[in-house]
Amino acid sequence: MHISEGVLSGPVLISGAALAFAGTAIGLKKIDYDKIAHAGVLAAAFFVASLIHVPVGPSSVHLILNGIVGLILGWGAFPAILVALTLQGVLFQFGGITTLGVNTLIMALPAVFCYFLFSRMSGKKPSIALVSSFACGFLSVLLSALIAGFALMFTEEDFFEVAAFFLFY
Amino acid sequence: MLKYKPNYQNKWKRTIFQLLLFLAVSFFAAGTAMAHKVMVFAWVEGDTVYTESKFSGGKKVNKGRIIVYDQQENRLLEGETNEKGEFSFKVPEKTTLKIVLQAGMGHRADWTLPIEESESVASRQMEAPSPAVADAEKPQHQVQPISQINAEDIQSAIEKALHKELKPLYKMLAESRNQGPSVTEIFGGIGYIIGLIGLAAYFKYRRKN
Repeated sequence: MHISEGVLSGPVLISGAALAFAGTAIGLKKIDYDKIAHAGVLAAAFFVASLIHVPVGPSSVHLILNGIVGLILGWGAFPAILVALTLQGVLFQFGGITTLGVNTLIMALPAVFCYFLFSRMSGKKPSIALVSSFACGFLSVLLSALIAGFALMFTEEDFFEVAAFFLFY
Repeated sequence: MLKYKPNYQNKWKRTIFQLLLFLAVSFFAAGTAMAHKVMVFAWVEGDTVYTESKFSGGKKVNKGRIIVYDQQENRLLEGETNEKGEFSFKVPEKTTLKIVLQAGMGHRADWTLPIEESESVASRQMEAPSPAVADAEKPQHQVQPISQINAEDIQSAIEKALHKELKPLYKMLAESRNQGPSVTEIFGGIGYIIGLIGLAAYFKYRRKN
C-alpha cells in the first residue's frame, strides 16, 4: 500500500501531508514518557513487517500491523507509522518522499479510528478481547484500502477497483 | 507442588492466549497489498524495444499499462504487459524514450532509454535492408561491390551476434535490479528507530524535569 511518486495530483499530496502532519503533532503530544518505548518497538515491527511475505494461494500476504499499532498507541500511531514509512521510503524505495503524507494517512488514520472503537474492549474478558482484536485488524486494513482508493480516485482510477485490489490481491 | 501447579498452568494459558491474540490481530491485519514497488526495465534488441515489469516481490506485472513518451513528453505509444510482465514494441522514433509503467493502484515506475541506444538501432534499421537486397542482385559485378557488401555484412553480423550474446546479460541486469532490501538496510532502519526512541525519551525526560 505504498503509493508511488508521480501518481497522485498535487492537491491530494498536499492535503495528505497536512493531515498527516496534524496527526503526527497530536500523536507526539499524546505519547507520554512511558509509551515511547512501545511506540519505538511498534514502529520497528511495522517497518520490518512489510518485508515478510507469506504465500497464500496464488498471491502472497504480508503483515501490515496497523491495527495493532493503533490499538496500543492510539494517536501515537501517527508518529510511529510516519517514522517507519520514512525509513522504508529512504532505505527500500517503497513509496516515495512526496507521497509520505498520503501513505502515512492511509495507514495511521484507520489505526487511530480502531483505537477509539476497540481500545475499551481489549481490556476486558479474553473472548471479547480476541474478537475485538480480530475486528480491529480487519477493519483497519479495510479502511486503509478505502482511503487509498479515495486518494487515487482523484487522479485516474476507478475507486472500487482500486479498493478491491488492495483488499484481495 | 500442588500449590504451584495451577499457577504455572495459568501462566501458560495466558501466554498462549496472548500469542493467539497477537496472531489474530496480525493475521487480519495481514490484508494483502503485496507489492511495495514496481520496476520496469527496458532494452533494445534489433529494432525492437523489450520491456520487463516486476513487482518488488518478484511477481510479474500482468496487464500493467506501458506508456512510451519521447523527450518532449509526447505520448508515442501505449500497450499492456502480458502475464510474464513483458511488452515489446518497434522503436517508434529516434529519440530518448521514456517508458512509464502504470501497474495500477498507485504503482508507477519509469525507465529512460538513452538516445545513443535508440539511435544506433534506428540508423541500422535504415541501413540493414539495403545490403541484403544488394547481395541478392549483384553476383555478376564482382570485385568492388563485394568488399562494400562485406563490410556491411560484417557489421550486421557482429551486431546480431552481440545482441545474441548480450541477451542473457540484459536479462541478468533486469533480474539484479529486482533484489529486495538487504539485511544492512533492514538493520539500519531498526537502528534509526532505536535512536529515535532515545531522542524522544531524552526530550520527554527533559520536559518532565
